[in-house]
Formats: sequence, structure tokens, C-alpha cells
Amino acid sequence: MRLIIRDDSQAASTYVANYIIQRIKHFNPSPAHPFVLGLPTGSSPLGVYKILVEKYKAGEISFENVVTFNMDEYIGIPRDHPESYHSFMWKNFFSHVNVKPNNVNILNGNAPNLEAECVEYEAKIKRAGGIDLFLGGIGEDGHIAFNEPGSSLASRTRVKTLAYDTILANSRFFDNDLDKVPKMALTVGVQTVLEAREVVVIILGARKALALQKCIEQGVNHMWTLSSLQLHPHPMIVCDEDATLELQVKTVKYFKSIEQVARTEGFEQILPSTIRTGATPAPKPLVDIQAPTSPIAQSPTILAPQPTTSRLLRPRSPATEYPVRAVSPDLVPDRMADRIGVPDISRRLTPMPEQQRYASVGA
Amino acid sequence: MPHSLPSSPKSMPREGGNGITKFTNCRILKGDQLVEEDLWVDSITGKVIRSQAAFYDDLNLPDQTINLGGRILSPGFIECQLNGAFGFNFSTLLEPTIYAKKVKELNKRLVQTGVTSYIPTITSQTGDLYKTALPHLGPSGPTQVAEDGAESLGAHVEGPFLNPTKNGIHNADVLLQAEGFDDLEDCYGSSNINPGKNGSRPAIKMITAAPELGNMTALIPQLTRRGITYSIGHSEATYEEASAAVAAGATMITHLFNAMRPLHHRNPGIFGVLGTEESLPRPYFGIIADGEHLHPTTIKIAFNAHPDGFILVTDAMHMVGLPDGAYQWTNGDCTNRIVKKGPKLLLEGSDRIAGSSITLVECVNNFLNWTGASIPQALKSVTSTPAAMLGLQGQKGCLEDGADADLIVFSESQSGGHVELVVDEVWKFGSKVFNRTASA
Repeated sequence: MRLIIRDDSQAASTYVANYIIQRIKHFNPSPAHPFVLGLPTGSSPLGVYKILVEKYKAGEISFENVVTFNMDEYIGIPRDHPESYHSFMWKNFFSHVNVKPNNVNILNGNAPNLEAECVEYEAKIKRAGGIDLFLGGIGEDGHIAFNEPGSSLASRTRVKTLAYDTILANSRFFDNDLDKVPKMALTVGVQTVLEAREVVVIILGARKALALQKCIEQGVNHMWTLSSLQLHPHPMIVCDEDATLELQVKTVKYFKSIEQVARTEGFEQILPSTIRTGATPAPKPLVDIQAPTSPIAQSPTILAPQPTTSRLLRPRSPATEYPVRAVSPDLVPDRMADRIGVPDISRRLTPMPEQQRYASVGA
Repeated sequence: MPHSLPSSPKSMPREGGNGITKFTNCRILKGDQLVEEDLWVDSITGKVIRSQAAFYDDLNLPDQTINLGGRILSPGFIECQLNGAFGFNFSTLLEPTIYAKKVKELNKRLVQTGVTSYIPTITSQTGDLYKTALPHLGPSGPTQVAEDGAESLGAHVEGPFLNPTKNGIHNADVLLQAEGFDDLEDCYGSSNINPGKNGSRPAIKMITAAPELGNMTALIPQLTRRGITYSIGHSEATYEEASAAVAAGATMITHLFNAMRPLHHRNPGIFGVLGTEESLPRPYFGIIADGEHLHPTTIKIAFNAHPDGFILVTDAMHMVGLPDGAYQWTNGDCTNRIVKKGPKLLLEGSDRIAGSSITLVECVNNFLNWTGASIPQALKSVTSTPAAMLGLQGQKGCLEDGADADLIVFSESQSGGHVELVVDEVWKFGSKVFNRTASA
């Protein structure tokens, strides 16, 4: 985990924007080898978008070969509704930069078949070669995208019912009328985010301080879905001083010193080169032999190591094959005695205490 | 000129392009504000387009992006009282082909002043002239070609149903009174005042008449039903008569204060209808801000009385852009001469003001400097307000999605408290038709 702390929100946003620009530049994207960027909406990333737009207008960065995937979208409001995330992205980012419209991917909250839309979205991410950098923000309850507290950490793109808190908070954008607030949304899952080669999260303001504390200093917990970031190999959280209010002084000092030392020693916390440049096409041989090109070679594949979580969760998680609904597991009678490796113990009506103690020590 | 051609592309885009232009880094006029926003226009449909839908639905990106460097982007001007310009007077009896050619020339030059649409005005004339001239002045209808320049929204007939005591420079001998609608049809020609069989709009868009004469007030509903705006003007109407006309459907006052009774404290006259009276909608009103017709303070009072009805007009004659001297003018059954001396026009041998020779952008600049109004307020008075007066909200005079892409790019110079807007570029139906630096 990299935790970058800056004095104020402006400095934090600038850091994130510059970081993204550096990553894209280093990646050197081309039409055949685009940089795939995951994007959030909400108030936290606004500053980042603003700076990215400024840098684009100053000619410092081009988004021509950047493919974008957005995190989420409401269900049941018109796409061009002023509060839709399509409108947000258009207003704050896409209309100002040179992202190509066919490189833009946002979940369609008005799709006739929402489940199919979600499956297709996951497939699209795969076809694009996976996400190189997923930028995120969080809610006060530590949710990433619309993965509200209690969401499965193995979740994928799906329909999500919004928490009452979220509906209340969002009502300010809908004339303070609860009936007008969408109650459901499409969102990428926690697992979708964790499968990105890198995740950068921006957290600003005192209101997010508790969430940051839970995600940094506490364990992985589905009630604070961002805490799943601890399982990612290359996460980075950028925050302002206000957001660190709940952290221990020790934690803050530690992460500050890491950054300080890294800078003074000239040892930047950089990513493995495969992640920085993505899947580069094989170098061209000097003598061009006309070989039949296979479709596999053309499409960029993920060469980067898979995030740890995907290895941890995949064998047991059924979530890779969507759609799967949560079902109550069948009741399997289970006694503690069955688990103790002493033959015949389950046959006894009254287990012998000495033997049990003996067996458990050996187990 | 009546048109029956089908709607055609406004212009053809460059090779392989989609005809979409994006204006960026500009302040666009939206309501009472100049907002920093991009604007997308389509030269094929000639409309302002919803950029978000174009991006997400049609996967379109603009052909060209124009960085306006912070300049103002306004809807094109709408002129509601223009008698002629560049040596051509609409109230002239000419061979139809020559007349049509003159109108065409005028349109191409007028658009360069920022006026993208207008209602050509004919002063009080005899029936012959109306019947000859009006067919050329009707709304351009479906044939909308950017290269044709300024577009007529229909003609404005200022007379001849005017009060002889408030005739201004109009020839009192040709003035008439109307008792029934057939009097109007006889005067202007039935085909010019009635919609065509195919539903096309009549050539006449606005009539200025004195409501107190004959049966005029009772005829107002018949006009408004045909989509024709009735404007009170050249009138001796009292406050009560003017109120009755407004109640009958009058929605405009032609050059407020000029050619009407002044405001009197015991009889407020026509000006009185601008006072808030809850039972009646307040009409729009034209104001000539040329420094001759009205005192700047009078303009300020009128503006503050009813800002949403305030429309700047020029009442310009064909001497606009011509050197000083005496010029011929057809005035009803005789020919007068008008003497141009600087910006001032007088009827020869009198001290009567004979219209103005000012451009609309000069009126806007005068208004800005005399009243301290904001730039959006000044621009509204020549864009969205006249569009609303003519019933063309959402189509003309605004930059909303789906509106006609008639635009002006302004640069703004400020020196010593003096503000001046300069027309840098003019766009008609999404295509550039004038560039100041290129033509200089």
C-alpha cells in the first residue's frame, strides 16, 4: 500500500492527476496498445478531472489512445439527465479532452436486460486487455463504486440496490425529493476493481477520515469495501491532511517517511515494468517473415501478475461465472466431533474426555 | 419570395467531414449570464446540437474545434425594424427580378453586421407597392442556405393604418383606416396576410397600426390568429385605448416614445401599459438607441420599467453605410428626399427625424454605455427578447439545443469605462459567413 498525504485537496488532486499523466506517458499508448483507465464520479475526483483537462489543453497529455471504463451508473434515469454519470463525465471530462467516443465505456442504466449489460461490461473490460489503472473515490462509509457496506469482496459488475444513507445523501441532487432519487445502480464489483493492474484512490476531507482509518489500519472487512485494497498488489491511496484525522500519528508519520526516504534516496515507489508499460507488442524482427497472424497475438493480453485476491478468491468464488445469485447453502449437518481426526469418535454417544483432549492436540 | 423547395442541407461539409464545429474557451450567452461552456453546431442541419448525445449516441467528434480565446459567443441578432440598408430601401417599387436581386444583395451584406435574421420593414405606402414588394420579403421558409446571409422572418408593415397626427415622416395622404379585415386584405393583398393553402406562413409577420382608428382594436385577434404580431405605433391612443389593444392581443409597441403621446401624469398613454397591471401581459417594445430619437435617460427608464420586453431596434434607412448627402425616398404617392448628415437623418426641408443610419451593434454599444446594463442584458434585447416577441423561442435568438445555429463572436474592448463589442465573426446555420480580420 502506498499512502500519499498532501497538505490540501488541491495538492492531492494535483498529485493524482500528475501520476495518471506520468503513467499514460510511460505506457506510450497506441491504437493497438491503448491505455485502459477506470474512472469514478463524485466530488472527490472533480479536482483531478479539472487538472487533467488543464494539462490536456496545455498540450501536456493526449487521451487519444486511452480507453475508459466508468465505475457505475444509476438505473432508471434518462442517460442525459443532469445527474446521470454519463452527464457528469461529459460535463467534467469527456467534452474537454480528446477521448474518442468509441473508446468510452459507461454502464447503460436503461439497458433492456441489465444482467446482460453487466456480463457484457465485464467481457468488454477483458477484451480491452484489463484495466491498467483504476481511479476511485470512496463514500463516507468506505464504499468503492456502488459497493455499499456488506457487498461481497468477490463481487463483479452487477445491479446494486443503494443503501438508504446513499439515497438520502443523493437526494440533494434531485430537488430533495426522495422519490426522484434512483434506488438502484449498476456498478463494477469489488473484484472488478481489484483485478485492475493498479488502483489509485483519492480521499479528501474530514468526513472521509473514519473510512480511511478503517481501510488502512483495520483488517479487510466487507463493511468497508475499500479495505479490500489491502489484498491488491499495487494500490495507492492519495489523501489530504483532513482525511487523516482518524489515523494514528504513527501511521501518518510512517507513510510520510516512506515517501520522504524514497524521494531523497532516489528510489521511487515504482511499479514493475510490465505493469507500467502493459503488454507491449513483440519487437519486430528485422527480416519480416509473412507469418499468419493469429487473433490471440493481436489482442493485448494481461501479462502482468494477477492480483493476489484473484488467486485467493477465485477457486472458491463462483463469481467468475456470472450471473450467479446468492443462494442459501444447503443445510449440511455438521458436528465438531466429525472434524476431529479420531476414528469412531462420532459413533460414541458420550465422547471420552481424555481421548478427546489427546485427539485435539494431535490434530 | 414564396418558396416551395424541400428542406435542403444548409451547407455541405468539407470532404468526409460530419459538419460539426465545436466552440471552446468561450463565454456563451445563456439567459442572464455569460457562461463558460462549449457549444457544438452542425452545419448540415444548421442547428445547435446536444453535444452529449452526439458523443454517446452517434460517436461523433467535431470536425473542427475553434478556440475563441475567451471571447463572447452570442446568438445572432434579430432586427425588428429595418427599412433598408446599403442603398436599398424595401419601400421601393421595382421590377420583381431587380427587387429580388437587391434583397439578396442586402441579405449578404446585412449578415456581416451581426444581424442574422430580421423583419424587413415597409413604411406607409400605396397598395401597389405592398402587393409588389411583400412577396419578396416573406419568411425564407424551408430554404435556408447559410451563404444567402441574413434571413427574413417575415415582413413588418409599418402603416398605412396610422394616425395622421402621429405620422412622423410617413406621407399622411396614404394613411387609411380599417373597418373590417377586408380593408387589410385590400391594402396588403390577400395572399400576403393569409397563410398559404399548404400552410405556409404569410409574408407579413408584424403590423404596426394605431389601435384607436376605425375598428382596428377589434381586428387584432384576427391578426394574431394568423401568427401576425400586432404592434401599437404611430398612435394617439390613450392609456385606456392602449390597454384595450393589449387585451385584444397586441404584444408589441413600435419605437416606444416616438410617434405617440408622451407620458403625462394624468394620462400615461401607451407607455402606461408597461406598468405592472396584473390582469394584462405587458407588451414588448422597440427602442431606438441612436442618440437622436431618445435621450439616454429615457431609454434607461423604459428598460427598468419592463426589462423582459425591451427590444433594441435601429429603424435604419437605406442610407446606412452611405456617405452624407440627400437621398431619394419613396413615400407613399410622392418622392421625398432625406438628408443624411453624419448619423442623423432628416426629412428634407423639415426637422423631422427620418429614421436612423445606425447598425444594431452600435445600438447595443450605446445601450451598454448609457445605462450600465450588463452585456447579457444588452444582448438579450436583440436576441432572445425579439425571438420571444415573434414567437420563435427556442428556434432563434438562443443557443439551446435544437436552435438555429446563428452566431456572433464578439471581442470586447474596454477603455476608461467605455465598453465596446466588436463583431469578429458571424455564423449562419452553423457555417461561418463573416470574419472581420479576413475581410479587413
